[in-house]
Amino acid sequence: MTRPDVAARRAADPGHPPVVEFRQVTMTYPDADAPVLRDVSFELGEGELILVVGPTGAGKSTLLSAINGLVPHFTGGRLDGQVIVAGRDTRTHPPRELADVVGYVGQDPAAGFVTEVVEDELAYAMEWLGLPPTVMRRRVEDVLDLLDLARLRGRRLDELSGGEQQRVAIGSVLTAGVRVLVLDEPTSALDPPAAEEVLAVLTRLVHDLGLTVVIAEHRLERVIQYADRILRLPGDGSAVLDEPSAAMAVSPLAPPVVHLARLAGWHPVPLSIREARRYAARLRATLPPNPSRPTAPSRSLGGEPLVAVRDLVARYGTTTALRHVNLRVERGEVVALMGRNGSGKTTLLTHLAGLRPPARGEVIVDGVRPHRLRPVEAVRHVTLVPAEPSDLFVADSVAGELRGLPRGRELLRSLAPEIADTAHPRDLSAGGQLLLALAIMLSYDAPLLLLDEPTRGLDYAAKERLAAILRARAEAGRAVVLATHDVELAAEVATRTVVLADGEVVADGPTAEVVTATPAFAPQVARILHPLRWLTVGEVREALEAG
Amino acid sequence: MTSLLPRPAPPRSQAVQRTADSADAGRTAIRLRWRSTAAVTLASLVGVLAFGWPFLSGVRGGGEAVAHASDAPWVFLLILPLVLVVVLAELADGLLDAKTVAMLGVLAGCGAALRTFGGDVTGASPVFFLLMPAGRALGRGFGFTLGVLTLFGSALITGGVGPWLPFQMIAAGWVGFGAGCLPRLRRFAGRWPEIAMLSAYGALAGLVYGAVMDLWFWPFQTTGLAPGIAYDPAADAATNLSHFAAFYLATSLGFDVPRAVANAVLVAVAGGPVLAAIRRAARRAAFGSGPARGIPRTPTGDPTGSAADGEERVRPWTCR
Amino acid sequence: MSRDGGLHPGAWWVWALGLAAAASRTTNPLLLLLLASVIVFAVVVHPSARRTVLGFFARIAAVVLALRLALAVVFTSPFPGHTVVRLPSVPVPSVFAGLRIGGPVTAESLLAALDGGMQLAVLLLAAGAASALADPRSLLRCLPAALYEVGVAVSIAVALAPQFATAARRVREARRLRGEAGRGPVVWLRAALPVLHGALERSIDLAAAMDARGFGRRGPVRPWRRHVVTAALVVALLACAAATYGLLSPGFRSSVSLPLLAAGVGLAAAGMIVGRRDAVRSRYRPPRWTPRAWLVAAGGAAAVVSVVLAGHLTPGSLTPTGYPLTWPQVPTVAVAGALGAALSALSAGTPDTVPRTLRAGTP
Repeated sequence: MTRPDVAARRAADPGHPPVVEFRQVTMTYPDADAPVLRDVSFELGEGELILVVGPTGAGKSTLLSAINGLVPHFTGGRLDGQVIVAGRDTRTHPPRELADVVGYVGQDPAAGFVTEVVEDELAYAMEWLGLPPTVMRRRVEDVLDLLDLARLRGRRLDELSGGEQQRVAIGSVLTAGVRVLVLDEPTSALDPPAAEEVLAVLTRLVHDLGLTVVIAEHRLERVIQYADRILRLPGDGSAVLDEPSAAMAVSPLAPPVVHLARLAGWHPVPLSIREARRYAARLRATLPPNPSRPTAPSRSLGGEPLVAVRDLVARYGTTTALRHVNLRVERGEVVALMGRNGSGKTTLLTHLAGLRPPARGEVIVDGVRPHRLRPVEAVRHVTLVPAEPSDLFVADSVAGELRGLPRGRELLRSLAPEIADTAHPRDLSAGGQLLLALAIMLSYDAPLLLLDEPTRGLDYAAKERLAAILRARAEAGRAVVLATHDVELAAEVATRTVVLADGEVVADGPTAEVVTATPAFAPQVARILHPLRWLTVGEVREALEAG
Repeated sequence: MTSLLPRPAPPRSQAVQRTADSADAGRTAIRLRWRSTAAVTLASLVGVLAFGWPFLSGVRGGGEAVAHASDAPWVFLLILPLVLVVVLAELADGLLDAKTVAMLGVLAGCGAALRTFGGDVTGASPVFFLLMPAGRALGRGFGFTLGVLTLFGSALITGGVGPWLPFQMIAAGWVGFGAGCLPRLRRFAGRWPEIAMLSAYGALAGLVYGAVMDLWFWPFQTTGLAPGIAYDPAADAATNLSHFAAFYLATSLGFDVPRAVANAVLVAVAGGPVLAAIRRAARRAAFGSGPARGIPRTPTGDPTGSAADGEERVRPWTCR
Repeated sequence: MSRDGGLHPGAWWVWALGLAAAASRTTNPLLLLLLASVIVFAVVVHPSARRTVLGFFARIAAVVLALRLALAVVFTSPFPGHTVVRLPSVPVPSVFAGLRIGGPVTAESLLAALDGGMQLAVLLLAAGAASALADPRSLLRCLPAALYEVGVAVSIAVALAPQFATAARRVREARRLRGEAGRGPVVWLRAALPVLHGALERSIDLAAAMDARGFGRRGPVRPWRRHVVTAALVVALLACAAATYGLLSPGFRSSVSLPLLAAGVGLAAAGMIVGRRDAVRSRYRPPRWTPRAWLVAAGGAAAVVSVVLAGHLTPGSLTPTGYPLTWPQVPTVAVAGALGAALSALSAGTPDTVPRTLRAGTP
């Protein structure tokens, strides 16, 4: 279904009631000075996939939670205006009475599971609707088939992978027969194949069942080609609903394909790789096959590499997590560690940080074996920012966290000046928590910095800040190893990429070679300019400006 | 992990936070109305009988009372679970809020996890470390329910649903209830007088819990044993008390005193942060909130007309 | 996971309760041994029963027995008998009148201690068998509607507790990343605090998800019904308290107390059933009470009934005195009851269990 059809159909049928309607909605939280949403009005129809775009703090989560009444019934605060969903006003209907029209799936689906088993979770919403048992059984079977969960029906929820959990969460609200599905960052924690599965499921729901799906996402490159319309929140409290091309023409937050289109002057702005490639023929003709890249710092710096991993074998109980892994990292390098969830990236990082001794083989960082050192000495050689930065926080204020770290305060001020000293660390956004954890780890000034999946929940602005910090570290002669499945970040910042699969290294080389080897998961610029090996919009911009 | 929900703006300064803390010292998550209080009181009465019956049924002349006395442990094994079920059903009537249920479940899960780390079958001290601040911050009713559910939950996890369980449950419920009954020190919320009070209560609660569980165990363990330490249905209360004292000194005191001391130290060291964390969560959850009427506001000239139900003005409303 | 083919978990608990009640009425060691073997037989015969749980309870029973024997050895009995060993006497302060520490330890006193301990051991084994054969977690699915919220809270606790344990390990690792030593109670404590914070935040997210899926929907509420039910529950509790007091204290007669107790129980049950009619919930595939469940429950009932009957028919056989030292007789009625319980356990088929991890390779 192409987008002009949708608009035409709506224009031709004015009596068709909108499924979701916001009327002059202004939302102010209890302790806040200013409203988060200001005078927001829009209408969403049936069978649409709406993408909500905006920087952190613009009110995306508030808007999504307002659709099913969690704001303000659950969170408190003051809501002016009306939100009407399928004819029901959220003023008079608390969330539990909207459970049969709106389904809400949060950022962490596992945090919303109430039962232990997949089948019980799917049936939970129906129990509260009081449906007769035969209807419940039939719907559970239908949803199991629709979402391809049939073979998981008796499994425990905490044993499922991230993508499977996301699908179970979607299924658990589908069984209630909802017409609107609201998802807050459904793919942020998933690796690319799992994200593709979830997005395929959502588009099928929109096209085959006529649901209205509203998604908030930071990683626009994954979702934007499926969006029927975009709801853009610029950050001043307003919201603008628009066709995707029009929205992307003006939005500061945009995926690489849009930035490339703006740079090259393509009109109307293409949103998918297929559309962009049609425009890109001329660009491909003018650019050389490879951009000029700085030579990777190599053995030319002389002496031992900073990190030498030889024949590392790591085991958890009876399963072998890493098999005969070899890795060298030189000073001044930024190495991206990529691979599916469960391929061993986190295990490798914990061994590099010295948290676990290797079962076989050796790990040498900065001339020492980190697992043999006491923690207070190990942090002088290697520091790790874990996947959950909030694990590091014990104090109840940012100042308390940085106490005792001499350069921590200045580092935080330079990284994230907007974070107040008195803020509670757990009240910060995902990006804020990451930057605080980074400030803590950078204050030890160890030669090797490790990061485990830092891009969860980060918007483009925060990612750019992170990339700038990592580049600065590399230029200062330190080394960074970064485990991520965000290929755009790897393309921006990594000089080398190592790919792990099933505990083994399957690729290890310059980022441009490794990342373009699989066209399906290469960065967007690489896919558009294939077979040329350009990775980022920045490289193209430099080449065009140079002449 | 990043929250499902939008994060409200953080409070402006630490000073505001502190007064908010002390103001919350009076809020309760489960309101105890007269009927819930009555239910808890009656259940506690049965509980006191369930533990203290050896000191009650002394009678001259044996016969019927003696036969009943030997049945008493088994009778209470059946009655006490029923009583607990009834009182939980009555408290559950006020528990319909999802936030309370979720917080109960999560805190009970934490307590159960703590118990697998540090407790044995009869001991429950790590649980108290979480139970007492929760009872203090969230009220008596919540404390009672949390005590009962934590012990039940940890029994389910370890697979050990034994005959001691209903007695442990009600005793832990009393500990939580008592923590909620401690005096409100509004001026000292979060500071050392409150922590000291909790710490002392922790030591006392640990000792009493151990003694009470030992009292439960005593008639079972000593039937057929020598007089002087065994429960004697024909003797009067004072004699039985001395017998029990001998039994307690022989078996349990050596464990209970170090555990009570450990309890007190644990609460003194870590009770403050735990209390602050629970209060902060309760404030964020805004227990007891409900929509209140706000100030009516005229809409800004909406050309498409008024609301569907024909209201003239769009009324905002506030949840506190 | 078998849901329909499995037995209602309550059936096993009734069975075990029956056997425990039978054990409570007797101190005949041979009869107790027979009951214990029936319990162990039932667990062994069902391959999907969780034997480790029974082993756990058996270990506790052994510890209790050992403690009992130790107490019998240390605190000796003044009654004459065949002396096994003579320990040195220890003087006792006069406040503990009638206590003897040390002195001759008689075989009769040891056997009396053993008999009493076996009663407790059978009780523990019965509890263990019930937990092994019907996971207590599956009972959460059978709760009456009045206890639904409490059941949800418990199932949340049971589901989340292992995750908190792993979170604690993760946080301990994070402490090492900040340069703190990994061992010691202080570090462990500092690890517990972020886990608590995470747990509390998670509770709010969980509540939001529950709310969004309809938790707490109620039909039209009739306030008079609520008041009546509450009054009934409170009166029931009052009746139970009074009845138990009456059973224990000398003045009351059991013909008053027992019916009062029964009335209290009945009133409570009625109150809970009636009280939650206004909840609109239905249940997805709840366990059903099948004829097979009746059979199993009947086995337990047969055990206790037969023991009570044996007590009436042959009064002395249930509580052999042990002085003089002879083999006690075992009444055949009781044996028949125990065998009936064993047979009904055998007929039960596959018990209902909560799902465990699928083995590798299972489709």
